[in-house]
This record gives sequence, C-alpha cells and structure tokens, in this order.
Amino acid sequence: MAHRKFLDQPPHFLFFTGKGGVGKTSLACATAITLADTGRQVLLVSTDPASNVGQVFGMTIGNQITAINAVPGLAALEIDPQAAAQVYRDRIVNPVRGVLPDTVVKGIEEQLSGACTTEIAAFDEFTALLIDSALTADYDHIIFDTAPTGHTIRLLQLPGAWSDFLQEGKGDASCLGPLAGLEKQRTQYKAAVNALADPQRTRLVLVARAQETTLREVARTQEELTAIGLTNQFLVINGLLPQSEATQDDLAAAIFEREQKTLAAIPEILKPLPRDYIALKPFNLVGLPALRQLLMDEFPAVSGNNALHQAMPFPGLSRLIDDIAKDGSGLIMLMGKGGVGKTTLAAAIAVNLAHRGLPVHLTTSDPAAHLNETISGTMDNLQVDRIDPHVETERYRQRILKTKGAHLDAKGKALLEEDLHSPCTEEIAVFQAFSRIIREAGKTFVVMDTAPTGHTLLLLDATGAYHREISKQMDHHSIAHYTTPMMQLQKPKQTKMLLVTLAETTPVLEAASLQAELRRTGIEPWAWIINNSIAATTVQSPLLCQRASNELKDIEAVSAIHAQRYAVVPLLKEELVGVQKLLELSGGNQ
Amino acid sequence: MATIQVFDPAACCSSGVCGADVDQALTAFSADVDWLKQHDIAIERFNLAQQPMAFADNATVKGFLERSGAEALPLILVDGEVALAGRYPQRSELARWTEISLEKEVEESSCCGGCC
Repeated sequence: MAHRKFLDQPPHFLFFTGKGGVGKTSLACATAITLADTGRQVLLVSTDPASNVGQVFGMTIGNQITAINAVPGLAALEIDPQAAAQVYRDRIVNPVRGVLPDTVVKGIEEQLSGACTTEIAAFDEFTALLIDSALTADYDHIIFDTAPTGHTIRLLQLPGAWSDFLQEGKGDASCLGPLAGLEKQRTQYKAAVNALADPQRTRLVLVARAQETTLREVARTQEELTAIGLTNQFLVINGLLPQSEATQDDLAAAIFEREQKTLAAIPEILKPLPRDYIALKPFNLVGLPALRQLLMDEFPAVSGNNALHQAMPFPGLSRLIDDIAKDGSGLIMLMGKGGVGKTTLAAAIAVNLAHRGLPVHLTTSDPAAHLNETISGTMDNLQVDRIDPHVETERYRQRILKTKGAHLDAKGKALLEEDLHSPCTEEIAVFQAFSRIIREAGKTFVVMDTAPTGHTLLLLDATGAYHREISKQMDHHSIAHYTTPMMQLQKPKQTKMLLVTLAETTPVLEAASLQAELRRTGIEPWAWIINNSIAATTVQSPLLCQRASNELKDIEAVSAIHAQRYAVVPLLKEELVGVQKLLELSGGNQ
Repeated sequence: MATIQVFDPAACCSSGVCGADVDQALTAFSADVDWLKQHDIAIERFNLAQQPMAFADNATVKGFLERSGAEALPLILVDGEVALAGRYPQRSELARWTEISLEKEVEESSCCGGCC
C-alpha cells in the first residue's frame, strides 16, 4: 500500500471536492474501501445530484444508509436532492390533504417545487450527517463524495449564511421560509458549520487533474474555502500519466510533458497543501478489484511491448457543424458532466460557425467557466460573454433594491437586502439571464456551454417553473400568443442539445441518464459528442493502447444505443487555446 | 392591544423577492410588519406554502379558502375577525387598528433613520 498523505490519520469526516470528471467518486469509493479494509466502520455519502456511487458498486443504494455487502464495515448513502425535496413537500402538504380545498393543496405543492426547496431539503439532510450522533455514531469515518465545485461551495457557504441569519433573527420575512419549521434546530446548523471548520474532525481533499484550467479552478476553490475559514485542505492530482509511458509515443510524451509543465507552474495558493499523485490506470474504475487498485502504485503491467493502436475513422465534429449551420440560426446547448470539455467544444463550434460568416453569440452559465480563457482572441461575427452567477445575482439585487426598495425606510431596506442574500436569489438571477439569451436565438446562433449536471437540471427546472408561471398569468390576462423558454427548448429546429461525454463507462452512463432526464422534460438530445478519445488517435504507449481499446465498447454503446447522431473528438497533444486551434479541432480550417 | 394575524398566499418568501418578479406591495408590507414589531404589536404571518396547517386549523380562514380560494389571499385578521382580504393593509390602516400614532412616528423616523 502506497503512502497517501490524505489518508494519514484520517479524521471523522472526509470530503472530496473538485469539478466533475476528475475522479472524486472513484477516490471517495477507493478511500472508503481502503479504510473499511483496515477494520474501520465507514459511511460513504454522495451529495451529487447525479450520484453514481451505486453504479460504482453495482448495486442500488438510494436515500437510505445501505450496507455494501461485498465490503464488510462499509455502508453508503446517496442524498438525492430531488427525492429529499419530495419528502420535505410531503411533510408539509400531507397533513392538509383533504382538509383544505384540492386546488389550494395543488398550489402549495407547486410553490414547493422550486429550486430553493430542493436546496434546503438537501442541505437539511447534509446537516444531519454532520451532527446527528444517533445516525452517525456507528461510524469511524464518514466520507463525502461531494458535488461539483460551484455546488460544493454553495453547500459549504450555506451553513454559515444560515446560522448567521438564524442567530440575528431578522424577523420572519425570510427567503429561508421553508426553514421556518426547522428553526428549532438553529443550534444544529451552527454545529454543522463548526464540524466543517474543525481540522480535528474534518478533512477536505481537493481533487484535480494535471490540467491548467482544472488547477486554476481548484485554486479558486481554495481561495473561496480560505475566505470562509477552511484552511487545512489536501490536494490530490489524479490520473497522472507515468513517466515510463512517455518514451512510448508522441502523444504520451506530449501528455506527460504537458502535465509535468502544468504541475511545475501550479498556482501559488495550492503549493503549501499536502499533495498526493495518483497514476493513470489502464482500466476503468468500476467494481471492487479496480477500486482497490486505485490507491496502489503497483498495478498489473500492461501486456504487449510492441503495442500499436491506429486511429479509428469515427465521424468528426465538422459533420455535426455542417448540419447545425444549415438551419441558419438557433440555440446550441452543450450538456454533460463537468470536465468533459463542454467549454472547449462550445468554443470550437461557435468559432467554426462564425468562420462560415454566420452570426454567433457564445455564452456560458457555468459557475466555474473559463470561456474567456479558451478564446484568447476575437473574430468577426462572434460575440462572447458569460452568465456569471455572481454578477447576475448582484445585478438582480441592485435592480430590486433600486426599484422595489426605493420607498422603503432604512429598516425596510435592510430587511429586503437580507432576503436578497438568500440561496434562491442566485437561481432566479441566473435563470432570468438565461431566458434573456434564449430569446435571441431566433435571429442568430446562440452557443451555450452549460453548467455541470446538477446545476443544469436546476436551471431547466427553473425554466419549467417559469413556463408554468407564465401560463398561469396568461390564463388571467388571456393573451393568446406567447413562447416560453421551455417551449423553445423542446423544438429541435430552434434548439439542439449536444450531450458531451468521454469514452469511459461512467461518463457514458452519466450522459445516458442525463438524456433520460431530458426526455422526461420533452427534450430529445440532437447529438452526442465523445471528447478526448484516445481511440480516435494513433498511439504506441501500452497504457494508452490499452485505454484506446477500452474505449471501443463505450463508443459502440453511444453509437448503437444512445445517440441519434454522434461525433468523436480525439485527444490532442496540445491544450486548445485560441481561435486557430479551435478551428482545427472543428475541421473549419481544412 | 390588538393581535394581528396575516395569512399570506403561497410564496417562497414573505417579501416576495423569490418570485419571477417582486411584488411591490409585499416588500412594502414586510417593512410595515417590522415597524409594527418595533411598537411591540403582536403580529403573526402564516405562509400557505410553509404553514398550511395554520390555515386548516382556523375555521375562519379555512372557510374563506373554501369560499374564495387561495387567489383571494392575503387575509388579515385582527383579534380573530376578518379585517381585510385580497390586499395588504396600508401603514395608516395598521396604525388605526393598533392605535399607534403615525404623527409621532414621523417625528421619530426623521431623526436619522434609527442610528441615533
């Protein structure tokens, strides 16, 4: 067993945080197994809205603590925010069912279907795990496989904000309204914050890949954590290419060199953190044997010294863009888990369309976006901007304070301001900005690099709620003609959803469940893009050859089962920065 | 002294900033509630989406909902009797019900907004 700093005398609570796709789930699972194997009692908790811990162990887990039979001492729990919200709704609504008129009860349920109820309900369960001794007393360690960075930060920020609010007790005019019934527990929220900030009890492990953008994002996370008083983080660099592979072929050498260069220039704020490296493995991290090997340095050698994998002739990105260009305008949305390359691909598509002389508006709602960093040049027909949740929220706040707060006295203003700092304000602000941009897509191309899965779903949920809200108002005012953002999203001529994934088992399954979610809202994804494929390149490194052949079954699954149409984008030697490189990727320069 | 009970329509929060658009009347009323509390007036607010049991348990409110529906809210009771329905009261109305002198209030608030 290799020595891992983050596993050194682990405290009661262990959190793995980082953007999606860096391997948080696998690391959390491997850590849980490792600790359970040493005879500890371990609880593994997933708070990711699109949790896949069950998938990793090949069993259904869900919203209750479930023993993992194959690993003595290990139990797992998935906190599904949607399910938690349903339980919460039932708790409030069930007592008045049949007592109050049905239409009234229906209205209550509608109100409790919003994003804020979901957040509060999920947070409530999260809090219980940090403090509830009856629930957690049996476990030596509780390991959290947390949601993508933005969501994690919000989750961590919430207890502070809430306990401040509850302590100050600024009246009942609170956006934490649904918390009204929970106010008795204000000491518990305080306790949860204390547990989080206490290095004796809690260790936060930042997970990253040796990629510049990813590390920069982790650095931002570290800044934010430091700002809210959490300083004792650990850093894990996952999926690092071993040096032995670099001698095998150009791509492996380029990857190795790029990763080492990136690590040498690691952001200053991350340097003091205890750091671990975990080597890239030639196998997918599904099932117990694979997970047990993740934290080991030694793994079975890849067979075949004279390995060679020839690039496969998969359909490329340019064909998809040809079809997109034909419609002349529309909304192009890239969806998928964080870290699959949505930002780069959105930029590549936008740059390609603009290169053809078509007007394009490229935008993102990803709280952790680095779009401006991907297009470090400007070109004709291309307008680039982003929906920055913080900026949008601030703009919304200022607008409300200026208009609605103008007549209020000082105390009234303070009260309004308090409400405008509630968690749902951000959701509303972002969703308003989102709707604004969707409306533009009638005239031009709007390419959106959307946020990680959970956030994307919340965004769509908000759009759906907006749709219902508008419909309700329309009934009252009897206006015949209207189009809501949701209605536009459902029309393939106007909106094309592109699911982005990687040629690995878990990402493909995640994209498939995202597709299933979309279908339930009446949206059919237009195409899939498999990004960073090694199978689409020619390689000689045994490890990369092995990974290339592992990819084939996943690409096959996408083309045969999941996708209406698809494209495969090869893993490239250089990171894509700048218009020219993006054009090359999308085939616009040939 | 009068006791005021306010039965709000279902809303995410009582100042209304969580809606698709902010209801001006609601934000103003939130400030008025705060003002009443400073005068030690007993005022309670119940939100239909958060405390529906409070609506079901009060015969007057339950009857009102059955007759007029949730769209007729808010409903304001003073000492248990219907004082107003369908809109939020003005500060002058609240002052009348609770016998607070508005003139005195104006003098007070003209000082320096409560900082002195």
